Amino acid sequence: MLVLLASNFAWAGGYQVGLHGQRNAGMGLIGTSLNNDASAAFYNPGALAAIPFQYSFLGGASAIRGITHYHMAKPSIYQATTDNPLGTPFYLYASARVLENLSAGLAVNTPYGNSLAWEEGWVGRFLIQEITMRAITIQPTLSYRITPALSVGAGFVIANGSVDLTRKLPVQDDSSEGELNINGSTTNYGFNAGILFVPIDGLNIGLSYRSRIQMELTDARADFSVPMSLESNFPAENRVSTSLPLPSNLDLGLSYHGSENLLLGMSLNYVFWSQYESLDFDFAQNTPALPDSENPRAYSDKLIVRLGAEYKVAENFLVRAGTYYDPSPVNENYFSPETPSLNNLALTTGLSFMPFTDFSIDLSFVYIMGMEKDVRYEPENFGGTYKSRVYIPGIGISYQF
Amino acid sequence: MRYLRDKNKFNRMKTRLFLIVSALWIMAGCDPEIEGYKPTSGDADFSVYVALGNSITAGYADAELFKSGQMVSYANIIAKQMLHAGGGEFKQPLMRDEYGFGGRIKLGMATDCIGNTGLGGVFFGESPEAGNFSNIYAEEGPFHNMGVPGAQVSHLLLPGYSMLNPYYSRFASSSTARIIDDATALNPTFFSLWIGNNDVLGYASSGGMSGSITPPEQFEIYYNLIVNQLLSETSKGILANIPDITSIPFFNTIPARGLVLMNPDEITSLNDHYSSQGLHHINFQMGVNGFVVSDPSAPQGIRQLASYELMLVTLPQDSLKCAGWGSTKPIPMQYYLSELQVKEIREAIKAYNSIIGNAAAENNIALADVNHLLTEAKSGMIFDGIHFNTQYVTGGLFSLDGVHLSPRGNAVVANYFIDVINEHYGAGIPKVSVTQYQGIIFP
Repeated sequence: MLVLLASNFAWAGGYQVGLHGQRNAGMGLIGTSLNNDASAAFYNPGALAAIPFQYSFLGGASAIRGITHYHMAKPSIYQATTDNPLGTPFYLYASARVLENLSAGLAVNTPYGNSLAWEEGWVGRFLIQEITMRAITIQPTLSYRITPALSVGAGFVIANGSVDLTRKLPVQDDSSEGELNINGSTTNYGFNAGILFVPIDGLNIGLSYRSRIQMELTDARADFSVPMSLESNFPAENRVSTSLPLPSNLDLGLSYHGSENLLLGMSLNYVFWSQYESLDFDFAQNTPALPDSENPRAYSDKLIVRLGAEYKVAENFLVRAGTYYDPSPVNENYFSPETPSLNNLALTTGLSFMPFTDFSIDLSFVYIMGMEKDVRYEPENFGGTYKSRVYIPGIGISYQF
Repeated sequence: MRYLRDKNKFNRMKTRLFLIVSALWIMAGCDPEIEGYKPTSGDADFSVYVALGNSITAGYADAELFKSGQMVSYANIIAKQMLHAGGGEFKQPLMRDEYGFGGRIKLGMATDCIGNTGLGGVFFGESPEAGNFSNIYAEEGPFHNMGVPGAQVSHLLLPGYSMLNPYYSRFASSSTARIIDDATALNPTFFSLWIGNNDVLGYASSGGMSGSITPPEQFEIYYNLIVNQLLSETSKGILANIPDITSIPFFNTIPARGLVLMNPDEITSLNDHYSSQGLHHINFQMGVNGFVVSDPSAPQGIRQLASYELMLVTLPQDSLKCAGWGSTKPIPMQYYLSELQVKEIREAIKAYNSIIGNAAAENNIALADVNHLLTEAKSGMIFDGIHFNTQYVTGGLFSLDGVHLSPRGNAVVANYFIDVINEHYGAGIPKVSVTQYQGIIFP
């Protein structure tokens, strides 16, 4: 089930995915200060003990349709677009108040991923043709309410990541070009901790920190397909080791019940992208034509600003809207078409409808504008202008009592 | 009451929501668009572009002129890109097939004298069509690509040159025609001229055993006559200069000190072999040694090469491996260039390039400094993820004959010309991506 759901996406900065709850998605993906439901296990474990239910269960998924457009560096008239497979991030959350002030929860979701397929034969194919990477995290969580105004929590994060990337090699026989496919998976660990403070009734302040998880891929497959006469230079069933950080995040959130029916919220997400310095491939078998490769990425830390609001139209019907600005962490001289992450401005909307008591159907729609930018990947002398649009409808259900 | 109000509100909301969701889905159908580049001709007029030159301009590669090679001549690539900036038709005297006159080579597996099988140049095979040898001017001419394999600077001005050159006889307007007149007969609005390579190459590629170097004083006279006749048609064009021979795989693949000896017994026996004949200037050490070559000016007509001398790629490898060439037997003179010959060649190229540079400057014509481009390429160049250098086969710029460009090499040169033309004439001819052209084909 998980495996079927877990196809992939990357539409926050870099390869971080912000879709971890349809309520949150509707409100600009805020969540750090919210204590509405068990999604707190992910957004802020400190808020989990403060949710107003004995039990809370949530599940949902989104469908990401993202298109990136490329225009070769001028003067040129060449353009290309991606033909990405539909990404489907998902989440499952459960929490229970096991003691009066102690809650236990479990979060299963997909905080990182990237799925990109450039058109066949495109000019950047020697950098990247296709990539699918994803991380599914499973996070058992405990949260304790110290006072009615203050609760804390922490979770242990088990991250299972996998990558499958294909790039063309500039060697050819009379029928086809060479190709390298790398694929493998790994499991690594981290933690997630947070605090929720409610200084006055109606005002929530949340602070959370998710640790960096270094996805260490060792002994992954590196399959080469090259002209017969070059096979000794590119051993067909080679192995490769590489490593990719899932960066740490420090989030501060504020939310305020302006009236009985209106909730306003914001959050500041500081993502430690500078942890992504380079993407290196260490091949098990090297040849003069196949040395290990070091590919600088030189990302920078970024602050994402999010605003959101929820309005209760009726007891069983809520609407939401939000926006956020997610600046690109990518260095403009090391902008690789494998993760064409632009400065993103997003508009979000959503609603919840409760057909029965305790049961809610949650819908959201996120529209992301990746702003046009002239960039280049200097080490391979590959530049151009990129622009993207992403459309993400999502659906979820929650059951809480 | 409260319930009813809520219900009305709810219905209104449902309608609105339906509209919003519909709008979002319509939006979802829109792809991001980047405003396209608008090519322009600037101060130039590319409507009739004529390319003059030698085999490189013609699209010769892999030791032959053949159809698919002509299609990716740098001149044809430029002409196709000019189409976006007001350019017109660009006719080439295409061969009928992939065999040309039958000399084409390809990479294949060959077994050497020791019995080792490895990559090497082998004949492309099959016999060419008879149509490749007959004149096609009446049916297809006149031609915009006036590159003629083998042409030297003086040949562009020579009446009846087609009788000396089978490549030109294929498309000359008449048996007494001159290349320059066939070119200007088209009334070009823009021209390119890349000529002069063969004024040293015939000499250089034969180890100085045939051909001669055109004296620079003569080169200057011929070159300026050509340029002036072109300028009588149009003031806009581009001149290209001559790359130094050390940038060309034909001359830089086999090191002059390429005799590697690792066996002490062999070294002793070789040293004894020569000292017993009184040839004390020939001696060998562990590691790399200069090849032993014939040289009438050396004591007893034999000596070893120094590192700055050049061995030609035509050196038969089997003779080297199995017949003792370069160690027990001297390598014949047609396979290397001595220090003096290298100096003569380089000085001639330098003089030609200064003549070409002056012609460009005096007439305010664009200058493609191909010599500079290929000197830079020696230390490596990268375009769109492909790494190039001037090495034989692996360097990617040159075709299998080690002198002429590969399809990707033609694309690199075409882009360079386009940059220079755009800069000089304020034009905006779009460039190509080298990834859209073939590299060396491996078996």
